[in-house]
Order: sequence, then structure tokens, then C-alpha cells
Amino acid sequence: MTAVNAASSIAALVGGLALAPLLPGLVQHWKARLQGRRGPSPLQPYRELRRLWRKSAVTVTETSLVYRLAPACVAAGLFAAVLLVPATSAALDLGVGHDALALLGLLAMARFALAAASWDVANGFSLMGASRDLSISVFTEVTLVLSLAVAALVAGTTDLRGIIAATAGTGAWSSPALALGGVAFAFVVVAETGRQPVDNPDTHLELTMIHEGPLLEYAGRDLALLQWAAAARHWIVLTLAAIVFLPHAANPYWQLAQLPIAIVALCAALAAIETVFAKMRLLLVPRMMSVAAGIALLGIAAQLVWTA
Amino acid sequence: MIAALLFAGVLAISLGGVLSAFRSAFRSALWLQAAGAGGLAVVGFVVLWSGDVLGAGFTSSFVPRLGVDGLTGFFLGVLGVVAAPVLVYSVGYLEPTSAGRAVAALMSVFLLVMVEVLCARDPVTFLGGWELMTLVPAVMILVARSADSESRGAVFTYVAVTHLGGIGTWVAILLLADAGAIGAPSAVTSGSTVQAVVAVAALIGMGTKAGVMPLHVWLPRAHPIAPAPVSALMSGVMIKVAIYGLVRVLVEWVGVLPVWFGVLVLAVGMLSALGGVVYALFQHDLKRLLALHSIENIGIIVLGLGACLLLRARGADSWAAFALAAALLHTLNHAVFKSLLFLGAGSFQRSVGSLALDRLGGLLRRMPWTGIAFLVGAMAIAGLPPLNGFASEWLTLQALVHVPMSGGVGDGLFGAVALAALAATAALAVLCFVKVVGLVLLGPPRRTASAEAIETPVEMRGAVALLAGSCVVLGLAPGLLFAALVSVAPWHAAAPRTVGLHLPGTGSLPTLGIALVLVGGTAALALLRGRVAAAAAPTWACGQPLEPALSWTSAGFTKPIRLVLESILRPEREITTRSDGGVHQEVAYAGRVPHLIDERLYRPAARISLLTAAHARKLQSGSLGTYIGYLIGLVVALLLAVRTGLIG
Repeated sequence: MTAVNAASSIAALVGGLALAPLLPGLVQHWKARLQGRRGPSPLQPYRELRRLWRKSAVTVTETSLVYRLAPACVAAGLFAAVLLVPATSAALDLGVGHDALALLGLLAMARFALAAASWDVANGFSLMGASRDLSISVFTEVTLVLSLAVAALVAGTTDLRGIIAATAGTGAWSSPALALGGVAFAFVVVAETGRQPVDNPDTHLELTMIHEGPLLEYAGRDLALLQWAAAARHWIVLTLAAIVFLPHAANPYWQLAQLPIAIVALCAALAAIETVFAKMRLLLVPRMMSVAAGIALLGIAAQLVWTA
Repeated sequence: MIAALLFAGVLAISLGGVLSAFRSAFRSALWLQAAGAGGLAVVGFVVLWSGDVLGAGFTSSFVPRLGVDGLTGFFLGVLGVVAAPVLVYSVGYLEPTSAGRAVAALMSVFLLVMVEVLCARDPVTFLGGWELMTLVPAVMILVARSADSESRGAVFTYVAVTHLGGIGTWVAILLLADAGAIGAPSAVTSGSTVQAVVAVAALIGMGTKAGVMPLHVWLPRAHPIAPAPVSALMSGVMIKVAIYGLVRVLVEWVGVLPVWFGVLVLAVGMLSALGGVVYALFQHDLKRLLALHSIENIGIIVLGLGACLLLRARGADSWAAFALAAALLHTLNHAVFKSLLFLGAGSFQRSVGSLALDRLGGLLRRMPWTGIAFLVGAMAIAGLPPLNGFASEWLTLQALVHVPMSGGVGDGLFGAVALAALAATAALAVLCFVKVVGLVLLGPPRRTASAEAIETPVEMRGAVALLAGSCVVLGLAPGLLFAALVSVAPWHAAAPRTVGLHLPGTGSLPTLGIALVLVGGTAALALLRGRVAAAAAPTWACGQPLEPALSWTSAGFTKPIRLVLESILRPEREITTRSDGGVHQEVAYAGRVPHLIDERLYRPAARISLLTAAHARKLQSGSLGTYIGYLIGLVVALLLAVRTGLIG
């Protein structure tokens, strides 16, 4: 184990655990600026987490273990995903491996837990959100797996560290595959972070909620765990976008230096997208994600033709 | 030693079958059968691990022979692991009435017939067992349901379709025997017509028995109406024996198949996986939903098999063996969690009296043992870590990713499409099983019957708990079994014997580490959260009290997907309102998602064959003169044929 191994793993842990709430904070802050408002400070999510952690929670009567354990389960799933996504090509194995396809299972588990909790409280609005979230996730998951497959095909492995190493420098960009995969992954980023045009994170109208819906019956520390999980989801997809689908150096130290810059830039891009686009009709989202999946498939075809 | 245990197991099952016909020995006879099945599981896995071969080898001659090798051993293991808990469950579930005793006795016959197919080393034994394997469950369903009209119709469809499709099995096995290729794959040359015919015939014949789309039409009819233990055996073991046949023929006996056949198998797998899960989403009956999920999981297994064939055709032998092992591992995993879910459904039916999804609810608190086991099974079938379904789905995804890595452009792209289909299947399965868990186990009870449900007897609880435990164990340590399954492949390949899955070309799946982080993380966070609570309040529903009539239904939860797929699924809905003086008095709603393959393929086919039969009947006029005319015509035609040299 060298210094760069340790630094990479520490970066992933600190980033995923402590810095993750900063990312939605930054997006909200810049979005407000772009819209001509002063907006909240980027540190607002931390303040909310502190406030929620101190508050006592109203719990729902006549529920089972599923409702009580779901927030911890969601947070644990996202924690495992944070451990799984490496910060550089030199990251250490933190006990969960670094496989791109294993990520799918962890995200699905978090989704399952939250949707099951919605059934447990039997709140119509929660269930509406859960139902929409799971329906959209079908299409998101296809796009996610195909865009990761583009990168895996370029690298010849599904090990994320190997993928980072193989997509470093300029060599991998000689075929259009990685660029197409990146475009497809951008749609995944928007959908997984629950941002416009897929979902509106600012909404307070239950009928339009997707990701916020299943959270309705939670308060206090439970809600704090779920909000951290949402922030960690930002960290995971933005890190993946930055280290796989954006040009990066081959040297892990340079990768480590590049990562925060790339993530902040991506947050700014998310803020810009949120400002420019309105939320689209729910039933159009699958169509949009199918187009993204088609782009990723095109990327795979391009790579196959290039290497053939 | 192992051979002795095998004989003891078979003997225990036969003796148990005979004894279960007597009322006084009913319960102990079922326990005896269960012990025999357990013995078979031990034999199977020991043979798989050690790599020994018992009894005779394969022969193309028509002399009955029996034997056990690694692949047979694995499937014996699948049979035993499922059958033992199912039989224990039956101790509590079956009543020693005449029908119950008949089912118990027939279960032993059913198991023995499947053991015969697995151990057969010659065409006669294999085909004989194959046919009996179709007929025995048909008898069981009719006996258990005392042959009411619904079960007669379903059993007729089942027997008709599996026999028509079963012709493919006969063609494939007899052609192989004719070529002398059973046990000697070099007898069939790669790319020959014989090879193609055998492969396609096997895919049709054995695919029908396995329930792949579009040959699955019998499965969602026959599986739900059987008693719970029989459904569990049919979905858990019988369709797996068909997979055994497919692996034997396609992977072992016909040599290396061309690329187009691998693509065909992938296409069939995709259709089954997606079609199964999509139609499962819109079912309102739990057992029918589970039956359609069997089609989905067979699709996933066939996807692994297709990846194996493609990778083998492209010369990527190591990943071909991994893909085969992925398919086999998913076979075992599906056998375990599907029998668990069917048994759980049987328990709910026993306690509540209905399996209509919208009439259950809140059963986790009323039936904690069965409920938690069912929850584990649902999470496993949805492919969630750290359970067994996740491990084998991950392996299948990996196998499909490695198809474009080692293939040509066209088949590589097709592999990527199959990968996308599997990802969509997994996500849809999550949606479907969240719905099942929510409607059955969680929330307030929707009817008084489910509010007053009582937990089942200890044998039934124990059986589902045992299967849930198997889901956990297989999820924690899939690598040990995986390594043994890789060496089952008839070409040389090896995987490291580790607890997790560490394969070259992947980021590895340390199952224990992931389980530790997930379970430990959940426990730690739940402790950290503590018990800070202000007050307990009912669910907030805009200030209204929460009424069961307002609760969400299965149709409501799946509506977004139904709307998105509307152009493909063509759902039907009918809303009738009765108004009186401009005021709506009554609104009736009826909606269904028709099964397109049934409506567009089988119904026209059935209509055409009935029409043809009606025309053919005109030949049978009943008058002697006409028949003499037919005879003279035939003789003249034969004479002409001989004269022109067509025959003779």
C-alpha cells in the first residue's frame, strides 16, 4: 500500500460521507443565482441534517419492522455504493470490490427498501412516488448498464479501477464510443439525482413528487438518513461521470486533483440544466431514457466496429 | 459409500411413497420421503465437489443404464434441496384424506421419475422418464382438485402443449442416438445440418418443458392450480430438469454450435425474461404471478446458456464456462426461492383463504415466521444483495458483458441488447416484488380474513425458514459452488475456489464483504438513530381517516408501467357509469392486460386446427362404399408411386 492508494480511498470515503451534502447545496445555490435569487448558502443541507438529527420524530402507528429499518437500510446501501465507487485508478479494495455492475444491485436494494416502507405506511402519496420512481428506474437502469458497458468494453473489464485507467489520457477518445457513453450517462445523472427535467427537487406538491414522495412519512433522524442518502447518490453518479466519462490523467495523483474540479463543474452543469429545462411529463421520461439507452447502444456498436 | 447413500435415498423415497398411502403412517411416511430427498441432495453435491463418476457412462445404444456424473449430481442436489423442505411442509399442509394420501404417494413417484431422467445414461430411460415427468403432475393436479372443469381445462392445455412440444425432445435425442453422439460429442460435426436440426429440436422440445416463451402457454395455467407443494416441485424442480436436458444436448453432445444458434438462444431468453416479468406485473392472483416469474427466471437461465454458446463459438472458453456456471447457479437459486415463495403462498392461502393480491395485507405482523421467510424470498428473486438471486444475476450480467468483449460486431451488439434486457428485467422484478411484499405482508389488513390470520403449524414454518436460510447461505458463499460448476463444463476451465466471486475481467463480488457492510451498516445506523420519538400518529392522508377501501391496489401501483408500455401491451379497460337525472349513481370499472402470445398466436392456431379437424371429419362419412373408395384410391396411388419409381 502506497500513499496514493491510501489517499484515493480516503478521498472516496471523506467525499462520499462528509462532502456529499455539499453537492445538492451547490446545485441549489447556483440555481438560485442563475434565476436571479440570492438563494440558500451551499452549506444549507448540513444545517438541515443537524436540525433533523436533533429533532424527535413522529412515527407512524401500525407499521412493521420494514418502516422502522428502511432509512437505515437505504443509508447502508448507499454507504456500500460509496465504498464501491473508487476515486482514482489506484483505490484500495474497501471490502465491497469495485465492480461496475454490482453498483446496480446496491442501488436497487435502496429503492426496494424505500418502496416497501411506502407500502407499510400505506400513504397514497408515498406509494405514488414509489411507483413512479420504480417505473422510471427500469429505464434508468438500462441506460446505466449500457453506458457502463461502453466503458467496460473500452477497458476490457468491469473493474472500475481498470476502467479509469483505460479511459485515461487521449487514447480512449480516438473512437466515438466513450463520448456516446458519456452522453447517455448524463441522462442517468439527471434521473438518479432526481433533478429536472425528470423530477423537481423543490416541489412541495405531493401529486408531482417522485423521489420526495416516499419520504413523506419520515421525520427526525430517519429523514436525516434519507437526505444523506440522496446526497450520497449525487456523489456516486457525479464521481462516476467525472472519473469515467470526462477526460482525465493517467497519474492517480492528477486524478485526485482533478476529481473535485470536475465534480464542482458537473454541479454547475446540473444547476444550468435545472434552470433551462422545465419538468417534463412523467410518461415522457421513459421515452427520453430510451433515447439515451439507444445512444449508449450506438456507443457499443461504434466500439465494436472500431476494434473489429 | 456415496452409491449406498444414493440407493438409501431412492429407497426411502419409494418406501415413503408406498407408506403414505396408509392413513396411520401418513406423517412419518412424508418425513421418510423428506429424509430420502435430503440424502439425494448430499449425494448430488458430494459428486459435484469430488468430480467422481458413479455407475455407467453415456451410451447411444438402447440398453438401459444409470449413472451419476458432475452435472447430474448438481441437479440431484437441486432436487434434494427443494424436495426435502417441500416434503416437510407437506407434513403440515396435506391432510390424510384420500386425495391428500394420493398426492403424497404421487409426489414420491414424481421425484423418482425426475431422478430417473437425471440418472439416465441411454435414450430409452431418458425418454421414458421424460414422458412420465409430464404425466405424473397432471394426475396430481386432477386428484388434488377432484377434476373440476377449471383444472381439467388447464391440465388438458398442459398435457397437449408439452406433448406437442415434446416431439422436439424425441427428435433431438433419437437423432443424437442415431449419430452415436450421446456421450461422444465428436460424432456430430460442427456446422452440419444434423447439428442444427438437433439443436433447434432440443430448444423447442426441452424449451416447452422449461416454459420458455413463446412455448410457455401451459405454465401459468398448470402451476397455480396445483396444491402448494406440487407447485413448488413443478416450478422448483421439474422445469429445471428440462434445463438439465438443454445443457446436456446443447453444451455437451452436439459439439460447438454456430454463432447464429447462440443468438437464437439469447433471443428466446430475452423474450422469456422480459415477457415473463411484464405479464407477472399485471396479475392479481399471487400464484399466477409466481408462475409467470418462473418464466422470467427460466429466461435469465437461458440468457446465461445463450451467452455460454456464443462465447464458446467465439473461442472464449473460460468465460463460456463461467456463463454456463452462472446459468446453473441461477437454476439452483431460482429453485430455492421459487419453491419458498410457492410454499409461502400456500401458507397464506391456508390462513387467509384467498390469494387475490388486493385482499391480503398486514400478514408480516400476523404471521412473522412465514412473513419474514417470504420477504427474504421476494428480495432474493428481485436480485437484491446480499441474497442468492443477486449473485447469479450479477454473474449472468457479467457473462453478457463479455459477449461483446470477445465476439464479432453483430453478435456482440446482440449481447449488449440482451444485457439491457436483463437489466430491465431485474428492475421490473424489483417493481413487481415490492408490490407483492407490500400487498401481502405490509400495511393495514385489507379484509377481516387477513386481519385474523394465524401462523401455520411448525412443519410449514420450518420448511419456509429452511429455504430462506438457503437463500442467505447461497448469497453469502456462491463462490464455492461456482468453482465446482465451472469444472462441470466439458472443456477445460477453472475458477478460483473462494467464498466470493473473484473472476478475471470483473471488479469481483466479495459477497461476504457486501453482506457485512449492508447488514452491519443497517444495524449500526438503526442503533445510532436510537429511539428518539415524539409521538406515534396514524398515516397522514390529507386529514382523512385511512380506509381500507381507499388503499392502493396492484393495478394502481403498476399503472405508470402499463401506460408506458400501452402500445405494446394493448391493455383493455371498460368503465360503465349509470347516471340518473344527470347524477352518476354507479361506476363500474373492469380492466385487464390480455396475454398477447395467447391471443395472437395460440388462439388462432387452436381455431385453425379445430377448423381443419372439422373439415377432416367430412372424410369420415360412415358409409362402407366411401371407405372402399379410399382403399382403392390408396392402392392405385401406391401402384403409381412404385411405377414411377418414387418408392420401392
